[in-house]
Amino acid sequence: MTEPAAPMPPAPPPPAAGYAPPSGPSGPRANFGQRLVAAIVDAIIVTAVTWALILVLAGIADEGGAIVAYLLALVFGVGYYAYLEGGATGQTLGKKVMSIRVIDANTGGSIGYGRGVGRYFARWISSIPCLLGYFWMLWDREKQTWHDKICSCVVVPTDAYPVQ
Amino acid sequence: MTAAGATATALRAPLEADGRDLRIAGGLMLGAGLLLPFLPEGAGLPCPLRTLTGVPCPLCGMTTSVTETLRLDLVDALAANPAGVGAVVAAVAVLAVRPARVRVSASFAYVTLAAMWLFELHRFGFL
Repeated sequence: MTEPAAPMPPAPPPPAAGYAPPSGPSGPRANFGQRLVAAIVDAIIVTAVTWALILVLAGIADEGGAIVAYLLALVFGVGYYAYLEGGATGQTLGKKVMSIRVIDANTGGSIGYGRGVGRYFARWISSIPCLLGYFWMLWDREKQTWHDKICSCVVVPTDAYPVQ
Repeated sequence: MTAAGATATALRAPLEADGRDLRIAGGLMLGAGLLLPFLPEGAGLPCPLRTLTGVPCPLCGMTTSVTETLRLDLVDALAANPAGVGAVVAAVAVLAVRPARVRVSASFAYVTLAAMWLFELHRFGFL
């Protein structure tokens, strides 16, 4: 003899007009502390290489050498973030240290090198109003900064979204 | 739903922040505000928008305001950016109460941001 099916609970009443359901991310997201530490680690690496380039090239050449040094530093910065965040892991060294990664907000896959380059320059937009675009993640539903939104990506913990 | 309708809905939805994120951000802000007076002059972060264009952003003056609030100099704090006083109070409250989540009306947040920008534009002589 089979057990009688448990009665279904009554359906919840429809939400009242103007009601907003509790907002929260649609999945696990990297928190502010993780992203901050990752950003600091990356900034130290990029700044160290940038300064080394500027000191070496500007020291041995004239004004033209300084311009070349700044251009090389920019290329290194773009390359560092675009190659590592646009790659299969979506991790810079800082993000690897903090076990977080960048993924496409819609597919969950890699964002690709093109969007990696775009994300680097979108960081400038996040920085311009006193880093407001970075702080935006504090109250954003998907914990996205402006550069995440521009490039349609999210930053997630690797334990929830492991590298394939 | 049209794009305009979706935008309007998104703007009406309350803003909700994770309590742990706010405690980290608030703690760092208070720590930096206490530390900055002991660092060399100009150790604060220059506003990129004002450096590039001369136009201040809504958050301009916040470093001064938070630092002066922590030194209990409310006159200078309010003159730099009144939101700094509120930010210190909010940070202390979040650290003391330790809420799991904090919800704020979106209209309140955006009106506050707009008011902060108008204040800074006036302070720097643009209005």
